[in-house]
Amino acid sequence: MDLIAPNTQSIRPRWRSRLYRWDVRAAPYAFVAPFFLCFAAFGLFPLVYTGWLSLHRVELGGEAQWLGLRNYTALWDSDFFWNALGNTFTIGVISTVPQLLLALGLAHLLNYEMRGRGFLRVAVLAPYATSIAAATLVFAQLFNSDYGLINTVIGWAGFHPVDWESSKWPAQIAISVIVTWRWTGYNALIYLAAMQAVPQDLYEAAALDGASRARQFLSVTIPSIRPTILFTIVVSTIGATQLFGEPMLFGGSLGVSGGSGNQFQTLSLLMYEKGWVTGALGQASAIAWVMLLLLLSVGAVQALVVRVRHPRRRG
Amino acid sequence: MSTASTTRTRWRPSAGRQQHAGPLTYALLVLAALVSLFPLYWNLVAASHSGERVVEAPAPLLPGRHLFDNLAFAWNQVDMGRALVNTTVVAGLVALSTVMFSTLAGFAFAKLPFRGRNVLLALVVATMTIPPQLSVIPLYEIITDLGWVDQLQSVVLPSLVAAFGVFFMRQYLVEALPVELVEAARVDGAHSLRIVWHVVFPVARPAMAVLGMLVFVQAWNDFFWPFIALTPEGNPTLQVALAGLGSGNHSVDQAIVLTGALISTVPLLLVFALLGKHIVGGITAGAVKN
Amino acid sequence: MRTTGTITTRRRRLTALIALAAGTALLAGCGSGGGTGTKADGASGTVTLRIGTFGSFGYDNDTGAKLYAEYEKLHPGIKIVESNVADGQKYWDTLKLRLSRDSGLADIQAVEVGYIAEATGPALAGKWADLAKTGGADLGAFLDWKVKQATTADGKVIGLGTDIGPMAICYNKDLFAKAGLPTDRAQVGALWAGSWDKFLEAGRAYQAKAPEGTSFHDSASGLFNAVVSSEPVQYADAKGELDYRNSPGVKQAWSVATSAATGGLTAKLRQFDEKGTWNAGFKNNRFATVACPSWMTGIIKDQAGQENQGKWDIAPAPVAGNWGGSFLAVPKSGPHVKEAAELAAWLTAPAQHAKVFAVNGNIPSTKETLSSPAVRNATLPFFGDTPVGRIYSEAAAGIKAVPISRWDGQVKTFITDNGILDIEQRGTDPAQAWANVNKLIDDKIQK
Repeated sequence: MDLIAPNTQSIRPRWRSRLYRWDVRAAPYAFVAPFFLCFAAFGLFPLVYTGWLSLHRVELGGEAQWLGLRNYTALWDSDFFWNALGNTFTIGVISTVPQLLLALGLAHLLNYEMRGRGFLRVAVLAPYATSIAAATLVFAQLFNSDYGLINTVIGWAGFHPVDWESSKWPAQIAISVIVTWRWTGYNALIYLAAMQAVPQDLYEAAALDGASRARQFLSVTIPSIRPTILFTIVVSTIGATQLFGEPMLFGGSLGVSGGSGNQFQTLSLLMYEKGWVTGALGQASAIAWVMLLLLLSVGAVQALVVRVRHPRRRG
Repeated sequence: MSTASTTRTRWRPSAGRQQHAGPLTYALLVLAALVSLFPLYWNLVAASHSGERVVEAPAPLLPGRHLFDNLAFAWNQVDMGRALVNTTVVAGLVALSTVMFSTLAGFAFAKLPFRGRNVLLALVVATMTIPPQLSVIPLYEIITDLGWVDQLQSVVLPSLVAAFGVFFMRQYLVEALPVELVEAARVDGAHSLRIVWHVVFPVARPAMAVLGMLVFVQAWNDFFWPFIALTPEGNPTLQVALAGLGSGNHSVDQAIVLTGALISTVPLLLVFALLGKHIVGGITAGAVKN
Repeated sequence: MRTTGTITTRRRRLTALIALAAGTALLAGCGSGGGTGTKADGASGTVTLRIGTFGSFGYDNDTGAKLYAEYEKLHPGIKIVESNVADGQKYWDTLKLRLSRDSGLADIQAVEVGYIAEATGPALAGKWADLAKTGGADLGAFLDWKVKQATTADGKVIGLGTDIGPMAICYNKDLFAKAGLPTDRAQVGALWAGSWDKFLEAGRAYQAKAPEGTSFHDSASGLFNAVVSSEPVQYADAKGELDYRNSPGVKQAWSVATSAATGGLTAKLRQFDEKGTWNAGFKNNRFATVACPSWMTGIIKDQAGQENQGKWDIAPAPVAGNWGGSFLAVPKSGPHVKEAAELAAWLTAPAQHAKVFAVNGNIPSTKETLSSPAVRNATLPFFGDTPVGRIYSEAAAGIKAVPISRWDGQVKTFITDNGILDIEQRGTDPAQAWANVNKLIDDKIQK
């Protein structure tokens, strides 16, 4: 496997060291270059173009007409925008928090030595691989207000059946269930990968100190995978802000408008409705930019909090 | 599992604790697996009934007798061979390059000091916030200008690297890869690519396998963009080719739609079976001697 | 740096596997990259024409009228490939983007009537070939209003009519009998002939003695669509500008639909819902009537099932109207505009309309075919001796040209899905619902 003969170093020390220094300096840039090249080629233009669109009144295929910031002020004045923003926030909270906690627990369990572990690990990823068509029909059946399994169970427990589609909170909870179902296994696998890198001796030391399994999980596992937890929080926050597929799938033909009273219309759905259904591309672009700025400010706050709480922590 | 020196153990990736699962753990995991797998099972059930039965209440829970009729019908309507090859190419290339490039970039962001590192990392994360439902319009302008409509590169090239992957590998390596290891290799005179190959990859393997799997599935099932960039009868991926299945006069035959979904999920399950092993086993032995 | 033996072999095997996969992938990639020549393969003397459709048009060689095979036989240099998408909304969303860039288009694109005003509107009108000038279609053969719908402001005809959706009322004879209403279709038609208010009256009579768990009509939204499509003024004014607020047709339809909803005449179902409750309603006898454009007969047959054969009958609607139908259009930027226009003209000629009707039951949009004995005398086995052909061709004769605007489809969706459904399912007060609809349309439609 050795590519360099041992004596090369002594023959050309100066050339080697210059090459070495150049390598140390340039390698990081070379390593991050593919991402930025790809982004420059396919990501930058959409970003700028969307910004330009957001300042115009324009329909797909039509002429653009300058509006300045009027698309943004129109959003500020629109009840539907604030409604979608609120829905995005509430659905985001009730789907992301349980999802990440469940994933953490699931990853912990999957990390045990056991028979059939491989099968179980793959099984929890199944929701992520399930087709939208199958998932739609399954959940439409489960949440059917007349004869769905969930209302049947609620009936056994002695409660009134719930109208999962037209009532605001039940609909948002149902969507959060779908989100949680779809993404828990995904996050669990990400946690699991991180847990596998936790050094064994930390556990051994903790065990010697008499820490229980639960104690080890809290004081060894969690701190050791903190960067990965931060990763999932960031990604889920972004995912929740851009939530699109699940409410669309849950609402079926009413999906884009988020139910008859817009009770589960998220920002992405509103954007899609504006851009594709009613042809207001400029307003849709303005929503995209608002989402972007919103996320960036959330990110800035998050980063600030991390810096305040761990002033020395870098790397 | 006996090790000679403690320093070696400290940074060796291990398959976690060698503790055995109790019955409660088993019960919980089996429950989770059942909840996760049920829609897949139901997909099979639905694909084995007639279109009217599938949408009838209450929904069928046991397989019916129409599976082979439905399979034959779907198979005849769509050029599955070509679609399967295309999808494998797309998902394979996207997964492979995302894993490679993300690991390289993630390593640089996690362990290599360079000017502008924090700013660039923040930029990577910021790019994730661009909503995809709208960027397809400008993206389509790009690929029409390049003449790539209905060509596979239109779906492969924009996804060669993902910010998500870069950030993921960075967060993983920041904790999993001890910086002493990289420095030791440097002292030995190893150049950067050698370090990547001999130090980073062995440590990153569990994360690379997980990332590869997630990205592969994502690319395999992607519909929104491929449906715009490719055409069902030209050069489609599976999801695009299946878009015409179940067409009827003002109604859709859900049994046929779900038969198509089943056909597209089965290869994915095979990949799981294959790749799943790499996530699970083997990693315990991932020791690197210095 | 050395790696342990087992790991090396393991990794080597993995690397080899990945390399192999990548190699195959690249090879296959090149292979498929080269195979996209469906557009212009004129070198060999054959022209391949692609036709983009949604749903089922009944042209194909498998289950349709085998029109492609017939045309290919008549024109040896032509090969036809159909590209079909099940979901009409996805089809149109993508088509708009492709039109805006003149790329990725088929040589012929089908357009549903709900989108035809958008296709003839200022943003897209210039993207189509003028079929009055190319392809040699006989425009006089079509129903006048069908041609008018596909005509742009500057007089170009961009689409040729395929089918139409003349409307009747389908009713369940058993339920009518149990509620003490007549079951003979002439008598049933007489119950409400000429007026939707009489239809509501019949509904109240039904509801007074309704069998347990049934309603007179399936959905107030369906009723709204039926009423509005029978009105001479719908969403647009005479100039084709959106003016639904002052439209007597919309007012009338809203009043009929909301009184049905608040009066308990509807089963409060949403048509085509993905939970299948509406579908199941046919089998479970949840409702006695449904607004019935010609294509609805196929859905009733499928959903009600064999055990209900002969239970359903069809009576004329109070006022004739049209709900649905499509066009074939030819994008101007295609490489074979002339050939495509000729094919579109042939596919929509009376002779072919008759063939499609025979296979798929689509009501043709050409006058001659509509009055042909084949259409007029047609019956459907599921509906017994009901003269389906006569009912629908007579309904078609009563349809008038109506001005349409680019926003009709969206306004209709907002009124039905967000307004009427809100009254039915969430108990919103109709006045409040109407205010909501107005707010919604003002916010979302940027004229």
